[in-house]
Amino acid sequence: MKLDPVLLEILNNKVTAVSEEMGHALQRTGRTLYVKETADFGTALSDLDGHFFAYPRAIGVSGFIDLDCGPTIRAVETIEPGDVLITNHPYASEGLATHGPDAHLLKPYFHKDEIVCFGWTFVHLSDIGGRVPSSISPTSHELYQEGFFIPPMKLLKGGKWNEDLLTLLRTNCRTPHENMGDLKAMLAALNVGERRVAAIIERHGIEAFRAARGDLIDYAAAKARDVLRRIPDGRYHFVDYLDDDLVSPYPVRLEVTLTAADGEITLDFSGTDPQVEAAFNVPTLGKRHAWLTVRLIAFIMTMDPTTPMNSGMFAPVTVRVPRGTILNPEPPAAVGVRHATAVRVNDLINGVLGQALPEVMPAANGGAMVPIVFAEDDHVAGETRVAVVQPMVGGTGARQGCDGVDGRDSSISNLANNPIETIEHSIGVRILDYGVRPDSGGPGQWRGGVGVRLVFEILAESGQILGRGMERFRFRPWGTQGGRHGAPMRVILNEGCDREQELGRLDVLPVQAGDVLTVLMPGGGGYGDPLRRDPEAVLRDVRDGFVSPASAAADYGVVLTSGGLDLGATEARRRAPTTQAKGNGASLDTGPARAAWEAALPGQLVPDVNAALLRTPQAARQRRRREFYRTVLPGLDGSGEAWNRALHDPDLVRSRAEEALQALLARR
Amino acid sequence: MTETTSHRYRVGVDVGGTFTDFVLSERATGRLAYHKEPSVPADPSRAVTRGMQALLAREDCDPGSIELVVHGTTLALNTTIQRRGAPASLVVSRGNRDVLEIARCRMPNSYDFRAGKEEPLVPRARVFEIGARIAADGTVLETPDEVELAALAERVHAAGVEAVAVMLLNAPANPAFEQDITDRLAARLPELAVSSSTAIWPEIREYERAVATTLNASIHPLMSDYLGQLRSRLTEDGIEAPIYITASNGGTLSLATARGRPIETMLSGPAAGVAAATRVAREVAARGLCDFAGVISFDMGGTSSDIALSLGGEPSYTNRTHVGDFPLMMPVVGVSAIGAGGGSIVWIDAQGVLKVGPQSAGADPGPVCYGRGGTEPTVTDCYVCLGALDPDQFLGGAQKLERDAATAALTEVGRRLGFEGADVAARGAEAALAVASANMASEMLKALAQNGVDPGQLALMPFGGAGPTHALLLAEEIGITSLVIPPAAGTFCALGALIADVKRDFVRSLRRVVGKGGEEVVWQAFSVLETEALEWVASEGDILDSYSLQHGADMRYAGQGFDLPVKLPPQAASAKDTDALIELFHQEHEKHYGFRDLESAIEVTTLRVRAIGQVPPIELPSIAPTSQEPTPTSSRPVWHQGAWRSAPVYRRDHLAQGHKISGPAIIEQPDTTVWILQGWDVAIDAKGNLLVVKPNPNDADEAPRS
Repeated sequence: MKLDPVLLEILNNKVTAVSEEMGHALQRTGRTLYVKETADFGTALSDLDGHFFAYPRAIGVSGFIDLDCGPTIRAVETIEPGDVLITNHPYASEGLATHGPDAHLLKPYFHKDEIVCFGWTFVHLSDIGGRVPSSISPTSHELYQEGFFIPPMKLLKGGKWNEDLLTLLRTNCRTPHENMGDLKAMLAALNVGERRVAAIIERHGIEAFRAARGDLIDYAAAKARDVLRRIPDGRYHFVDYLDDDLVSPYPVRLEVTLTAADGEITLDFSGTDPQVEAAFNVPTLGKRHAWLTVRLIAFIMTMDPTTPMNSGMFAPVTVRVPRGTILNPEPPAAVGVRHATAVRVNDLINGVLGQALPEVMPAANGGAMVPIVFAEDDHVAGETRVAVVQPMVGGTGARQGCDGVDGRDSSISNLANNPIETIEHSIGVRILDYGVRPDSGGPGQWRGGVGVRLVFEILAESGQILGRGMERFRFRPWGTQGGRHGAPMRVILNEGCDREQELGRLDVLPVQAGDVLTVLMPGGGGYGDPLRRDPEAVLRDVRDGFVSPASAAADYGVVLTSGGLDLGATEARRRAPTTQAKGNGASLDTGPARAAWEAALPGQLVPDVNAALLRTPQAARQRRRREFYRTVLPGLDGSGEAWNRALHDPDLVRSRAEEALQALLARR
Repeated sequence: MTETTSHRYRVGVDVGGTFTDFVLSERATGRLAYHKEPSVPADPSRAVTRGMQALLAREDCDPGSIELVVHGTTLALNTTIQRRGAPASLVVSRGNRDVLEIARCRMPNSYDFRAGKEEPLVPRARVFEIGARIAADGTVLETPDEVELAALAERVHAAGVEAVAVMLLNAPANPAFEQDITDRLAARLPELAVSSSTAIWPEIREYERAVATTLNASIHPLMSDYLGQLRSRLTEDGIEAPIYITASNGGTLSLATARGRPIETMLSGPAAGVAAATRVAREVAARGLCDFAGVISFDMGGTSSDIALSLGGEPSYTNRTHVGDFPLMMPVVGVSAIGAGGGSIVWIDAQGVLKVGPQSAGADPGPVCYGRGGTEPTVTDCYVCLGALDPDQFLGGAQKLERDAATAALTEVGRRLGFEGADVAARGAEAALAVASANMASEMLKALAQNGVDPGQLALMPFGGAGPTHALLLAEEIGITSLVIPPAAGTFCALGALIADVKRDFVRSLRRVVGKGGEEVVWQAFSVLETEALEWVASEGDILDSYSLQHGADMRYAGQGFDLPVKLPPQAASAKDTDALIELFHQEHEKHYGFRDLESAIEVTTLRVRAIGQVPPIELPSIAPTSQEPTPTSSRPVWHQGAWRSAPVYRRDHLAQGHKISGPAIIEQPDTTVWILQGWDVAIDAKGNLLVVKPNPNDADEAPRS
C-alpha cells in the first residue's frame, strides 16, 4: 500500500462518508416511496476501472458492492466534465443493471483534466414500461416485455440534459413525473459526491486521493483474505432448489462447488439448471457478481466488522458460471424477479460455507421474501390503487449456540414493514392477524426462527393480490447438524370456511369483498439434535407460544405438566427408541420433497442432464428440458398429490430419467 | 417586596454518570455560581441533596430563598438502556399480539448474522389480546364484554406485572374507545397502573405507539419513587420551591407531569445542553459579534460525542429517533452521535492501520493516564501526551494524571505506525487525534446532510469535558472558521435546565384532504388540541409568566407516501387560515423537491401543537471590560503539526471582556481545558464567551509552519 497507515484510515473514513452523504442527499430529495421508505437505491464511488472503493455502511441497498461499472464506462467513447452516464440494460451494461426498473447513473469527477473517480447511484424507478404496471412480472420471458431499456449512454452531456433521451424515456413509461423526480434526486446525490471528493483532494492532495483508490481496495482484500483463510483448504459442495419457475412445475436446481486455498476461493456453479422462460434469471454475464457474492459480505463482516466495505472484499474470490444457466442467462432472457433466485443463491453460499465451517454458519433462513401487494379496483374513478400490504419474511436459521431470529430476515434486504394503521388507511383491506407463525421454526438444539403469518380481509369490492417471490412451498429451509427443516410456505384463501382453498404460489389472484387471504412464511432451519435442547428453553418457547405442546413432545421429547416440566418423563421420553428414531442423524435435513426428488434423481443425473441441455441451442433448451421432465415425471403439476404420485416409485423415475438422458445426448 | 427578596435564587441540576452539576442563579444580579458533586448512581437524589446543601452553604443562601429548582435526570434513559424498567404487560387488539416481536421487521444490523434482534420490551407470554377493534375511520368493530375483560384482568394479574399498557389498533381515530377499555380494565386491577396509548401519544404507527406506552408504563414506578423521594428530601432541607424536570424537547415539565409522563424526559440531558447553546448563540448573534446562520453544539464526553443544530435561534427537532433498541416517536431536540469521546481507545489493526474507537475505556479503568489499570491508550491520553492537558490541573487539580504512562502507551502506537526519533509518542498521539477528528467530521457532515445544511455558514459551540479541548481540531477538519465557547462549558446542561421554558407537545393523527371541505375537521381537531394544551400549561405552576402555542401539521400531496412538516404561524392558526396552510405546504414542498403540484389534492395527516409556558427569564451574567493585556500564568510546550511550540497558559476566570489571545495558547478552567491552535484568534465578549475565529482560513491547507 502506498499511503501511510494514518492517512489510509482518514481517507477510508472520508470516502465512505462521501458515499453515505450521497445516500442521504438522495433519500432527502427522492420523489418515490422506493427512495423514501424502502430505500431501494444505492450510492458509491467507483475507481477508473469501475470497481467501488467507497460504499455506504448504513444507507441504501447493502448488497451491491460487487457490481462492475467498467463495461458501462468503457461503452461510452469520450467522457467529459458534466457528463452523466445512464443505463438500465442488464446485458449491455454486463450486469451493472440487473433488471429494468433499476436506473444506474455514473458521473465522472474531474480534478483539472483528470478523471479522479466516478460517482455512482442507482434507484429502483416506479415503472419503466413493459407489459405490466411496475414493469416486473414473473411470467415475462423476454427482456422486451420488461420495459424500455437504455444501453450505456449519456443522460447529460456537459451538464445539459440529453432531451431526446428524456423524451423517449418519458414516452415509454407509466410514471414519467416520478421517474424525473428520482432522476433529479440522483443528480443531486452525484453532485454532492463531486463537491466532497473535490474537498478531499483540496485537503489531502491529488496524489493521496489517487493512492487511496487502490490502497482501500487492497486493504479490504487483505482483511477479507484473513477471514477467508478460516475456511480449511479443500473442496466443498452444496445444492439447493427453487420450487419451480412458475411457468412449469419442475424444480430449479442451483449448485456450487467451493474450492478454498489459503484464503483464495473459487465458486463454481456448474450443475445449475438452464435459464428459465420466466423472469427469474440473474444476469451475471458469467462474471463475479453482486448477486452471487452477497452472502460473502455477511460472512466477512460478521467475522471482521472493521473490513472496509468495497470491491476489495471480493478480490480473493473467483467465480465460474456456465453460460446459458439461470445464473448466467443468454439474452434476451427476462430478469425482472432475479432477486427471488438470489435469495436461494444466498442459501446456497450459506450452505457451502456451512460445509466448511459448521460451527460458524447458520442453517437455512426462511428463504423467501414476498411483498404482498393489493391492487384495488376503484370502481368510481375507474383506476387501480396499489399498495404493499406487508413485505413478508421468514425467520432466520439457527446456528451453534443460538436460536434463529423470529419473524425477521435481513439476509437479502433489510426492509421495514408498514404499520397496520397506515395500510388500513390507504387501501381497502383489514388486517385480521399479523404475527409470528408458531411451530414453523425448524426444531433443533437451537431452534430455527419462526416465520411471519398474515391474515387479511378484502374490504374493497374487488381487486387483485400479487405475491412476487413466493417460494419454499416444497423444498424446505434446511436444518443442519441434526437440526430439522423449517415449515414450508403456505397460502390459503378463506381458511376455515367452506370456500377454503390451498393456493400455493401466486402470480395474480383476483379477489372480492369478504375474501380472506392467509400467508404463512417458512421458518428457518434448526441446528443440532432437538432432543438435546435444554428443556427449560422448550418450556419457555411453549409459554411464549413459539412452539406448541404437541411439538414439544413430538419433536423435542419434552413432557410438560400444567405447572411446567416433568424432567423425569422428559428424560425417559428422549431415551425411548421411538423418539430416537425420529432424528435421521443426517447433517442436512431438507424435508420430504427434496428427499423424494433426490431419491428419484440422484447424484450426477441432473447435472448431466443440465450439461447436455447447455449444449443444445438456446432457443430449444427450455423446450427440451420440459420434454425431459414430462417424460420422466408424467402428470406432475403444482399440487402436492401429483408430486407424491409422480415420485412415489423412485426407481421407476430414475430408469426413465436415465433413458431420457441418453435420448437427449443422442439428439446432438 | 418581601416576596421578591425572599425568592431570589434558582438552581439548575444535571445528573451525569460521574458528576452531578449545579448552577445557581441570583435573580437580581444575574450572578451564576457552579458546583460539581460526585454522582451516586445507586441513589441519585442523594448527590442532588448533598450538592445542594454544599452549594447553598458556600453561597450563604437560605433554602427558603430558592424560587425554582430545575432538574435534569437520566433515570428514564438509563432505565430503558439497561432494561431495568418495572415488568409490564401489553394489551392489544386481537391479531396484533406480535407487534413487539415483529416490530418494524428490520434487523438492527443487516450484515452481522450473529447480531440477532432486540429483546422485545415485553415477552410474548405477557402480551395479551382482547376483542377490541377499531376501524381506520374510528368505527368500533368489536367490543369486549365484561366476561372477557374479567378473564383478561385475571391473566394480567397472574402475570405478576407492575404496570399495564393498552394499545388498540387505530385508537388515534377513536381515543375514547381505548380509554374506556383502559378504565374498565383498571377498575379490575386497582393495584396496577394501567395506561392507554392515546393518552401517551395519539399518533398512528402502532409499533412506535406501543413502545412509547409500554416504556412509559414501565419507567413510571421508578420515576415516581425517585421524584417523590427528591421532593421530600429537598423539603426536609427547607427547599419548598417547585421542582421542574427537563424534557427531551428542550423544555421542562412540572414534577407532577414528569411523574406521569416520564417518557418525555428520555433525552433531556442532551436537549438541555442544546437549549443552553441556542440561548448563548442567540445572544451572541443579537450583539452582532459573529456572522453565522446557526450553531452546531458539540458535546464531547468520556464515551462519545454528540452534535445538534440550532438555526435561526431555534434548535432543530426531529419527530423520530431511537433510544437504545427502540424507536421514540415524539418531538425531541435532534442530537446525533458522531463518534469518539475522551475514553475512545486508540489501536492498530492486523494490517497495521491506525484506529480510534468504537471501544471505550469508560470511567473504569479509564485512560492509561488515570493510573487505574488502563493499558490501552485513549484520546484523553493523547491530549496529555501532547501537553494540551496539564496532568496536575485535571478537574481543577482534583485528579492527578500520569503523563509518563500515557506517553509510554502512545510510544508503542507511534512505533507500530513506523515513527522514529525522540517524539514517537507525540507523533502517534497527533495521528490518533487526526483520525478521531476525521471520523467526527465525516459523521458530522452526514448528519448535516440529512438536514440539508452545509457547515460553511455555521459556528461550532463546544461544551462537555472534552469539547473545548478537541473543538479546534474538529473545526479545522470540517472547515468551520468560527466558534463560541461558553463559560462553564462543563456544567452547560445544568445551565440549560435553568433557562428553559416549560414545554409539552400535543399530537393528533387524522387524515383529511384540506381545501375541499376536510379542513373543518382539521381546524376542529386543532381547537381540541389547543384546549388540551392550554389546560395543561395553565396547571403547570404559578411561576409561569405567560403561555403561548405553536402549531404544525404534517402534510402531503394525496397519494404521496411521506409527509412534510409544516409550521403554521400563530396568526394563520388563530384565523384558521386554510389558504395559508396550503400555501405553506406548497412552499415547503418546493424547497425540498423543487416544484409544487397544483393539480393534486393536499392531505393533512398529523396535527401538532406545542404549549410553551414562559418562565421569567434570567439574565446571563456579564464580565468586566478591560483595556489591559491578558497575563498568562505560565507556559508549556504543546505539540501541534509535528513540532513542540511554546503555548502561554491562561486561567479562564482571569480573562476579561475585551481580552484578545492568539494561538497557540491554552486556557484552563476547572471543568475543561480550551486548546487554541496556531492560526486562531480569541476574543472574550461581555458574557465571558470565547469567540474564536480563524482570520486566514486558507492556512489550514498549508504545510505546518516552523
